[in-house]
Amino acid sequence: MKKSLVAGATAVALAVLGFAAPASMAATNDDSKCGTAGVTCIGVVTDIGHVTDKSFNQAAWEGAQAGAKAVGGIANYIESNAATDTEYGNNIDLFAAKHYNVIVTVGFLEANATVAAAAKYPDIKFIGVDQFLDTTKTTPNLAGLNWHEDQAGFIVGYLAGYLTKTGKTGAVVGMNIPPVYRYAAGFQNGVAYAAKELKKKYPVTKIIYHPAADNAFSDPAFGASNSAQLLSQGYDVIFAAGGGTGNGGLARIAKAKGKFCIGVDVDQWNTVPEAQACLVTSAEKLIGAGVTDLVKSYKAGTFAGGNVYGKVGFAPYHALSSKVPAAVQAKVAAVAKKILAGSLSTGVK
Amino acid sequence: MQRVFGSINIKSWKFLLTAAVLIVWIYCYVANGDVTNSVVASGMRFGMPLALASMVGIMCERSGIVNIGIEGTMLLSGFTGFYVASYTKNIIIGLIIAILTGMLTSFVHALMTIQWQMDQIIAGTIINILASGLTSFLYKEGSTVPNTWPIFDIPILSRIPFIGHAFFSQQGPIQYFGLILIPAIWVLIYKTRWGLRTRSVGENPGSADTAGISVIKVRMINVVLGGAIGGLVGGFICLELVGSFSKEFTAGAGFTALALMIFGRWNPMGAFAAAILFGLAQALSTQLQIFGVNNIPNQFITLLPYVFTILVLVFSAGKVRPPAAEGKVYKKEEA
Repeated sequence: MKKSLVAGATAVALAVLGFAAPASMAATNDDSKCGTAGVTCIGVVTDIGHVTDKSFNQAAWEGAQAGAKAVGGIANYIESNAATDTEYGNNIDLFAAKHYNVIVTVGFLEANATVAAAAKYPDIKFIGVDQFLDTTKTTPNLAGLNWHEDQAGFIVGYLAGYLTKTGKTGAVVGMNIPPVYRYAAGFQNGVAYAAKELKKKYPVTKIIYHPAADNAFSDPAFGASNSAQLLSQGYDVIFAAGGGTGNGGLARIAKAKGKFCIGVDVDQWNTVPEAQACLVTSAEKLIGAGVTDLVKSYKAGTFAGGNVYGKVGFAPYHALSSKVPAAVQAKVAAVAKKILAGSLSTGVK
Repeated sequence: MQRVFGSINIKSWKFLLTAAVLIVWIYCYVANGDVTNSVVASGMRFGMPLALASMVGIMCERSGIVNIGIEGTMLLSGFTGFYVASYTKNIIIGLIIAILTGMLTSFVHALMTIQWQMDQIIAGTIINILASGLTSFLYKEGSTVPNTWPIFDIPILSRIPFIGHAFFSQQGPIQYFGLILIPAIWVLIYKTRWGLRTRSVGENPGSADTAGISVIKVRMINVVLGGAIGGLVGGFICLELVGSFSKEFTAGAGFTALALMIFGRWNPMGAFAAAILFGLAQALSTQLQIFGVNNIPNQFITLLPYVFTILVLVFSAGKVRPPAAEGKVYKKEEA
C-alpha cells in the first residue's frame, strides 16, 4: 500500500514538473490606463512558442513594440501554453477585458480563435499574423497579415543559380502547404531565371517534402539526412525551409565544405549559428515590419480589415559576403528590386 | 547468423525479402553506382537512430519490462548532451552526459516499474511527458556546440567495391559504432550467460527466481543499460547527425523504434534489418523526388515508406510472440 502511494506521488510530481510551464504575461508595461482616450495599447498573444523564439513570435512581438513606440502607446504579451482554441480565446479575453486597442495573434494555429474573438469584440482591431482569411466570414476589424513567399524564394533562388558550380540545386522543406509550396516553387523559378541569364542548362531544382503532418516542421534528422543525400549527389546550393526540419538540414550542410545553404523566414545567421559556415542568406518575411505598419495604420485611422500582404526580402550575406562576387550581389539586388516592385513575376500562382 | 534469417528456407518470407532487396540493390548499383551508394548511405543514416532506439526496447522487453519512454529518454539526453557540450565546449563530455542522462532516466523508469511496481505503460508515458515538458520549458535558442562528431571514410573498408561507399563512407563515428554495437547486443542476448538470464527473466521470472536468479537485479541492470543506449541515440542525433538541439527533435522515432522491434521479433539483428529497410524506403522516396517523377503527386511519393512498412507488417504478421512475462509486475511469493 505504502509503495503504491510513493509511486503515485512520484508520478504526479513528475507529471506536474513536465507541465510546469505557466502562461507568462509581461507586466512590465503599465496597462491600467488602457481604454482611456488617446492611449494605444497593443497586446500580443503568442502561439505555443515564446517571445524569445527568434522566429515568428519574437518578430511579431518586436514589431508590436516598435509600433507602440511609433504611436506612443504600450505593448504587452501573453505566451500561450497550449495549442487550443480555448487557450488562445482566454488569452485574447484577458487583453480585451483590459480594453486593449489592438490585439495581435501569431501563427495560423490561432486563426479560428482570432476570427471568433474579432466577431466578439467589434471595437478592438485584430491582426492575425500568417492567417489567410476567408473574408466572406470575417469582420472588418480583423486583418490577416500574409506574405508573398514566392517572391522571397525567387530572390534567393536567383542567387543560388549564380552560386551553384554543379548546376544542381535543391530545397529540403516541411509539409506541402501553401506558404511552403510558394517558397519552394519561387526558389525553383528563381534558379531557372538565373540559368536563363547565364545561358546554362541546369537540371530542375529538386524539392524534397516531408511526408508526415504531425512532425513535418520538427524533424531535424529528416532534414539532415535528406540534405546529406542531396550533397552526396553533387547538389551544392540547398534551400532548407521548414522549422526544425530545415534547421537540421542547415546544420548538416554546414559540415560539408564549399557548399551553400539558405535559411528561411528570419535571418537564420542568428537563429541557427551552427549553419554559419554555409548560410549565405535567408529568404525573409518581414514579420515585425508588417505588424508595425498595421499598428501605425490603426493610429492613423486607416486600418483596413481583410488580407494584407507584408514585405518579404532576403537576409544579409554576413561573413559569406566574400564568397559572393560583387557583380552577383548587384544582380541579386536588382532582381530583388524588380520582384518586390512587381515588375518581374515569380511565375508562381 | 542462423537466427537472423531463420533456417534457409526458400519459402520463408525473410529469405525472399532479403533476396529481393539484394537483387534490386545489385541492379541499381550496376545501373547507377553513385546514386545507389548515396541512397544506401542515406538509408543507413535514416535507419541507424531507429535501429539503436529499438535496441533500447529490446534490452528492456527481453527482461520483461515494457519501455515506451524511449522517446523521452532520447529527448532528455539529447538536451543535456547538447547543452553540456555547448557549455563546456567539449563534445566528448556532451556525449558522456547524454549517455548518463539516458541511464538516469531509465533508472527512474526501472524504479517506478520494478521497485514500486507501477504500470509500465504509465511509467513510460510519464517519462515522455516529463521530457517533452522540461526540454521545451528550459529550451534556449542560440547555443552552439564548438564542433560536431566529424564525418569521415573508414580507411580500407570504404574502398571495398559495392558495399564500401554505402556503409563505410561519409558517416560519423557513432554511426559506425552502431554497426559494432548492434551485433554485440545480439551476442549479449543470445550467446552469454547474462543474456540467458535476461531472457529467462523475461519469459518466466518465477522459474528464474527459483533457479537463483535475482529477477529485480537483472531487470534493473537491463533497463539501465537500455537507457545508456537511448542516451547514445540522443547524443548521436544532436551531436553528430544533425549537430544541434531543436524542440521535439525525436519526432516520434522512439515509437517507430518500438514497431521495428516487434517487426524484428525482439531480435537485435532483426530490428536492425527492419530499421535499415525502413530507412531505405525513406531514402528511396527522397530519391524519387530528386529524380523528379512528375506524374505521381509528391504526397504519394512521401507516403511510400509508410505504405511499405504496412505491407511488410501485413506479410510478416501472425507469427509475432513477445517475451511471455513482458509488462507484468513480478512479485516474489512470500514464503
